[in-house]
Amino acid sequence: MSETTADPAVPPIVPLDPRLLEILVCPLTKGPLEYDRAAGELISRKAGLAYPVRDGIPIMLADEARKLEE
Amino acid sequence: MTGAGPGGPAAPFDRAAVRRHRDRAAARVDQVADLLGELAERLLDRLDDTTQRFTAALDLGGRGVVAPLLAARGIGCVSCDLSAPMVARNPRPVVVADEEFLPFAPGSFDLVVASLSLHWINDLPGTLIQLRHALRPGGLLLASLPALGTLGGLRMALTRAEVAVSGGAAPRVAPFPDLSDCAALLQRAGYALPVADVEDVGFSYANPMTLVAELRAAGETNALAERDRRIPPRGLFAAGFADAAGADGRVSVRLRLAVLTGWAPG
Repeated sequence: MSETTADPAVPPIVPLDPRLLEILVCPLTKGPLEYDRAAGELISRKAGLAYPVRDGIPIMLADEARKLEE
Repeated sequence: MTGAGPGGPAAPFDRAAVRRHRDRAAARVDQVADLLGELAERLLDRLDDTTQRFTAALDLGGRGVVAPLLAARGIGCVSCDLSAPMVARNPRPVVVADEEFLPFAPGSFDLVVASLSLHWINDLPGTLIQLRHALRPGGLLLASLPALGTLGGLRMALTRAEVAVSGGAAPRVAPFPDLSDCAALLQRAGYALPVADVEDVGFSYANPMTLVAELRAAGETNALAERDRRIPPRGLFAAGFADAAGADGRVSVRLRLAVLTGWAPG
């Protein structure tokens, strides 16, 4: 069988629509977001939160976001 | 985000419930897509009153119905909803967001369309201000929401029936703003040329439980914070609907559709 690097347990990361990158800000601080494509997260340094991008859909809810360390 | 929103502890709506209701409704909303589409079309008809052309719209809570109608008018849009399953019904790009904490940079859009999606928000003035910031100067807010009088006869009939059945009554129909509140809200939120007018839409049901099913399919289940979480008293809806029925046995209900327009100052 041919080799494959895809792990069936890990769904492929669907990238964020570039149109959204231009307009999204942190819902709490209205500050800028950094897009971590590999982790599938939008990071708000000011709020200390990482908002998940699931299946290409950004989930801009504080109660769904991961708290950043430090 | 629930309970501790800007609405404070006395916030009338349970936002976690609103989200749950929309999550569940995502699988059923097709049942009412025609109706929602018709109501959205009525709202979008207002775009014909202006010569302005729009290219970048925000569809707030359009339930998969508004975005295609905007596309048919050649207007590109981003759809946004509190519920991930509900927003996934729209063509991309889509965003899950809380209408009380919007994640859009200033000047992101030239049009905001909110078709029957603002009435479960605790801090409506706050949302309207955030939407104004998300609009470019000269951008248009176009919104519809149920106004006072919506389901009014049913509200009274259910209250009378519940008092008769259980000696008390819980709120089963949400409070709706009156038209002058709507216009004042737009003005206070800083919109230019704020206008609120009303269109009456009547519905008639042979079996009023169809109405309950349709409201559920649209994600419109009661999300009042003070709602009675117990199973309704036996026979309540039957008694209430019997009270509300006309001589022909049908129940007529009214949707008073408030249509709000306001412009972001240039």
